[in-house]
Amino acid sequence: MEANQQVKTTAVKGTDTARLVRGMVKNIYASAHEAKAKGQKVAYMMVASQYDEILRAMDIVPLPTENYAGLCAAKRDMDRFLLKAEADGYSQVLCSYARIGLGFDALRKELGRIPDGSPDGGMPLPDMMLGSSAVCDPRFKWYQATSRYLEAPTFGIDVVAPPPQDDLNEVRDYYIKYQRDQLQALIEFLEKQTGRKMDPERLWEAIRLGDRAWQLWYDIDRLRVAVPCPMPSQDHFSIMVAGHYYTGTQVAVDFYQKLYDEVKYKVENKIGVIADEKYRILYGGGLPPWHTLWIFNYFESFGAVFVIENVYRGFDPVEVPSHVKDPVDYLAWRAFLRFTRYHEKARARSGNPTVEKLLDMIADYKIDGVVFHACRSCRATTIGQVHIKSELGKYSNLPMMQLVSDMVDLRDYSEAQWKAQIGAFIEALQGRGK
Amino acid sequence: MTVMKQIEELYNERGKRARELHQAGRKVIGYFCCFVPDEIITALDMVPYRIQGSQNDPIDEADALLEPMACPFARSCFNMALKDQYDFLDGFVAPHSCDTIERMYHIWRSNKPSPFNHMINVPHMMGPSSDVFYRKELDYFILRLEEFAGAKLDQNKLRDAVRLYNRRRALLRELYDFRKADPPAISGTETTQVLVAGMGIPAAEHVKLLESLIAEIKNRPAPTADGLPRIFIWGNEIDDIAFIRLVEECGAHVVMDDLCTGTRFFWDDVPETPDPLDGITSRYIGTHCPRSLKPQTGLREEDLENRFGYMRKFVSRWRADGVIFYIVRYCDTCELEGPDLREYLNNLKLPVLMIEDDYSTSTIGQLRTRIQAFLEMIG
Repeated sequence: MEANQQVKTTAVKGTDTARLVRGMVKNIYASAHEAKAKGQKVAYMMVASQYDEILRAMDIVPLPTENYAGLCAAKRDMDRFLLKAEADGYSQVLCSYARIGLGFDALRKELGRIPDGSPDGGMPLPDMMLGSSAVCDPRFKWYQATSRYLEAPTFGIDVVAPPPQDDLNEVRDYYIKYQRDQLQALIEFLEKQTGRKMDPERLWEAIRLGDRAWQLWYDIDRLRVAVPCPMPSQDHFSIMVAGHYYTGTQVAVDFYQKLYDEVKYKVENKIGVIADEKYRILYGGGLPPWHTLWIFNYFESFGAVFVIENVYRGFDPVEVPSHVKDPVDYLAWRAFLRFTRYHEKARARSGNPTVEKLLDMIADYKIDGVVFHACRSCRATTIGQVHIKSELGKYSNLPMMQLVSDMVDLRDYSEAQWKAQIGAFIEALQGRGK
Repeated sequence: MTVMKQIEELYNERGKRARELHQAGRKVIGYFCCFVPDEIITALDMVPYRIQGSQNDPIDEADALLEPMACPFARSCFNMALKDQYDFLDGFVAPHSCDTIERMYHIWRSNKPSPFNHMINVPHMMGPSSDVFYRKELDYFILRLEEFAGAKLDQNKLRDAVRLYNRRRALLRELYDFRKADPPAISGTETTQVLVAGMGIPAAEHVKLLESLIAEIKNRPAPTADGLPRIFIWGNEIDDIAFIRLVEECGAHVVMDDLCTGTRFFWDDVPETPDPLDGITSRYIGTHCPRSLKPQTGLREEDLENRFGYMRKFVSRWRADGVIFYIVRYCDTCELEGPDLREYLNNLKLPVLMIEDDYSTSTIGQLRTRIQAFLEMIG
């Protein structure tokens, strides 16, 4: 019954459109090199920092350093960067995305050039580095450390969300004001770096494109409630590139429109990811194992398809009040509404917005089991998984499993351990009589 | 009984006094880290209690609810809560100081809720808008705490509390002055006991103890200089004497620190401003912690000076010969800060030993050889 051992890192995709993403990833780094050559500003940046559209509106080319780390892992070319960072004093338990980024920049400084054979040609030297406190601590601290290896102005912003127990009516105004102040400070920094004022109309245009792309992405995910599943999680971990790294561009809108059409066609014609879909799995949380994405196909060999996931998602669409007329105000409002989307629901039941979101997914997507991925070097997406698993258990009796490794550091991964765990998990699914 | 003996007892039985106060009807508010103003809690006639872990006890029950890749200090604290060792807390307050504390707050609150639970969101960025936001968060905290206390915050009481804690800060700085001597008139081990003991008792009681201790130390016979290396410790949570004692047993004097449990929490006074919350805001948000990001200033060298310049004074005035970093594992911001700080200190011609540890007395002994080798190198 067990599938043959696979040696490649990537997964077989479920949709044709997802196969276009590889070119989009290559283009991120190629276009950054081209931009540098033309004298355009290039910025190291962090995904989901709520400032993407500002960069687009100001013609600053984003260089997502976390994505580069994931790419290195998918290419199994991460060790030289990890080891270099560790040799320079960075702990082996520090965020491995950061270790790869620091190691890459350290090696470049040492060699005086981009390390030979770096995936997709490596990252060009940035003109600036833009950290943020969205999601986790290393994301605002990493670029400060990078200043050890390269001279580029660094700027960080806070991205804030209130705890779910806060009374939103009490805190809303000052949270939004702070978010606006942080974004405005960033704009002033960028204006100084580029020597140009930001055009509010261009920002509105980028916002419109961003919202349109994310609405399409959301609609695609809603199509995935269909049985059989038309698009699996391994596709999500590719197609997220458009939403997170092309935010605010027509490229992202066109990509998601194409994907939407394909997924809709599959739903209408009942074309599933696999011929015999027995179990529908929720990827409950944790960064994906970029080093071993084929594991999703391994699950499929047992009839188990990951139909939806709770990481690197697009934000659900939110309705910013119509009285908001300024694009920076809009971004601040949108961030607040995105981050508090499940707060009221949490206050009414479990107290935990993530639990509420997962319970919605379990119901909507007809889930049979939940899998989490604990990453040894990622506090932000790992701490709380066991708790969430336990909370979910109060409301559902689904089999749940936590696999442990890391998002990019292969030293924390054991294939034998995973296969043993997956075997037991599949037995638990079988035991439920499906 | 000597004052130091009393302090040792408080250090060894940390929750005892707070438990007595709780049983006598006082409300005890437990909190984490350096970003929850004691002054506010005290002015509302409640007792602030700085939550500590236990390096001597294994983390067993917490592992079922909190992943092992979380900071072991936080896991240890939560483990103690699960074992009802914090059942005297009437309130539980966590600042959003780091990823682990923020996430653990929700897990703790869900599994071991106190009658009062609250999280204060603390900006990571430092700047004018961050001050305004943090002040708003304090206003909201006060609103919630007033509801729990059934009383309004009295501005005069808050001013009194500011003076009380500034008095304690001044006494602790005076205590640290004894460490400038060669050899120091008070050891690093004793100092740790004084600091940790004070975290679990009302500040007014700590002040009295400090006044008596300072008088006692002044009467200690002056020892002769021994020429042992003088060590500055940088890191996060050291709420147990085991590590400091180990360094001193290896043949050194621990003379100064920049730790969450050391100067970081008490060194700077709260400015006495017309609105006391203005002074509290600027003091607490200005806490030197790797989790707070100072805006970049100039090129690398200037930026490092801007970030770490306050430590230059510490190492020069306390005449440190070397620096040991004690980083409780999985503290991402310390892990990222460490190499930068090492570069800064090396530029000051100070050797640095970086240690990453598991917050457990059972593993601390393994560090002896590394510490001895380091001391030999600088000795």
